[in-house]
Amino acid sequence: MISIEELNPIFRQVFDDNSIDITRTSTADDIDDWDSLTHMNLVMAVEQAFKIRFALGELQKLKNVGDMLDMINTKIRT
Amino acid sequence: MLFNSLEFIFIFLPISLLVYFSLLRRRLAIAAKSWLLFASLLFYSWWNIKYLPLILGSILFNYTIGGLLAEYGSGGKRPIPPKAIFITGIAANIALLCWFKYMDFFIGTTNVLLSTQLPFLKIVLPLGISFFTITQIAFLVDAYEGLVEERNLLSYTLFVTFFPHLLAGPILHHSEMMPQFERLRNSVLNWKNLYLGLTLFFLGLFKKVVIADTFSVWATAGFDTSQPLTLIPAWLASLSYTFQLYFVFSGFCDMAEGIGWMCFISLPVNFNSPYKATGIIDFWKRWHISLTNFVTTYLYTPILRVFDRITFTRSLVAIFLAMLISGFWHGAGWNFIIWGGMHGLGLVINHIWKKNKLPMPSLLGWLITFNFVNVSFVFFRSKSLEGALAVLKGMAGLNGVMLHRSLAKVQALKDMGISFGGWLDPIKGNDQTWIMAVCALLIVVFWKNSMEIVSNAKPSWGRLCILMLIAFWALLDMGKVSEFLYFQF
Repeated sequence: MISIEELNPIFRQVFDDNSIDITRTSTADDIDDWDSLTHMNLVMAVEQAFKIRFALGELQKLKNVGDMLDMINTKIRT
Repeated sequence: MLFNSLEFIFIFLPISLLVYFSLLRRRLAIAAKSWLLFASLLFYSWWNIKYLPLILGSILFNYTIGGLLAEYGSGGKRPIPPKAIFITGIAANIALLCWFKYMDFFIGTTNVLLSTQLPFLKIVLPLGISFFTITQIAFLVDAYEGLVEERNLLSYTLFVTFFPHLLAGPILHHSEMMPQFERLRNSVLNWKNLYLGLTLFFLGLFKKVVIADTFSVWATAGFDTSQPLTLIPAWLASLSYTFQLYFVFSGFCDMAEGIGWMCFISLPVNFNSPYKATGIIDFWKRWHISLTNFVTTYLYTPILRVFDRITFTRSLVAIFLAMLISGFWHGAGWNFIIWGGMHGLGLVINHIWKKNKLPMPSLLGWLITFNFVNVSFVFFRSKSLEGALAVLKGMAGLNGVMLHRSLAKVQALKDMGISFGGWLDPIKGNDQTWIMAVCALLIVVFWKNSMEIVSNAKPSWGRLCILMLIAFWALLDMGKVSEFLYFQF
């Protein structure tokens, strides 16, 4: 089970901002630099960190932290 | 049959809805779905029944391939590698689109490059082929990646052919549509839905027949004339097209959305006041949103994933390539490729600007974006590259300036080399042209868009009267002969 504390460092690293503290309800609107470009960086960083792979059709559903966390955990379990 | 035809509004739509509602009332969800499918196929065949086997064949093919991929994903026997099936499926879709849409472009290009004289095939583009190809490619990709769980031939066929979106989109995604068709049994006739759906439909109809069709006269005259345009008519012709395209395209999408609401089916919102955008990135979040989502998911991302590591520069390359392909998808011609390339470049510059945190006042951002979009649409509208350059030449003032004859007495203007006469004659315009252009600009920049109007609308007698007025006006204007434009993309 991956927790939000394990995800936060990845966000800080991708967006190069140590003041980021994500919550389950954080979305792309809350983080200034989270746009279509950085979204892919984020996705690939998450994939590498947890050794999972998202399908193309799942990527647009990852635009808030809660959904992302749930999807990571579903993928790790299977 | 177009939405803006009497047979659609007074015969097709009411009968379709009545039968649909009465079936749903009796809880006959499958019959209701089948009826919608029948109506959609009739709608499709009305245009040309010759292409009905084509769309049905494409659906059956993709459904079968998708089924194979989905089964293999869940650990079935694998006599053929899933990857081979997947590639065959994608290749077949692209080949079909190439044959119907791009053959003459390839032949023309070959003739120019190799100085050959191959004859053109002059193939007629089947209605909706660009849409049903890419929506089904998305289905295959998702099936291959194990995301297709729900499979039902009836829902699938309805998702591809659902008549509201066949003409002009929005681009539907199976994961948004098929579950809705499955849930229909719980739907009951809802007067508010019907009322709001009708409001949206007539707003869209008004946008198409009253606003867009008026602009289309000047745009068509300006773009299709062989005589050189002077400064002002050139700008008015290009602006007329920029407004025509927005009002016709978003109008059709409003109508689609409205019909969807009446049927309890929610279609994705496709426009969010695009001409309010203050940057190119912003523009593409507001213009043809369903396409932007498709391009991001199924073009930009796979291109980017080819690289093992993502860098900023590589992301920009991927964006540019994705927009170039998207441009070519819109139409088989160099002008569309240039249009896509311009927007790719615009996005790249916008992203560099943003990354370096360079300042951009919103007013200036809006001015640049709107003019950039307007100029890019000159390529989009022109039948050829030469045509686009001719209009741009006029817009650059290279064909001189002509003003209304009433200003001929002003000596200072004469001294500047300005000529006087029927200044808007080349685009068949008059004073209404520039007044309409100014009004349209004010509307698209300052007014709420139709989704915003409808989403907070509470049914009231006052609103009903306005709705009737809009509907009546639109219906009266439908008598005018209008340009037959269906979307080739």
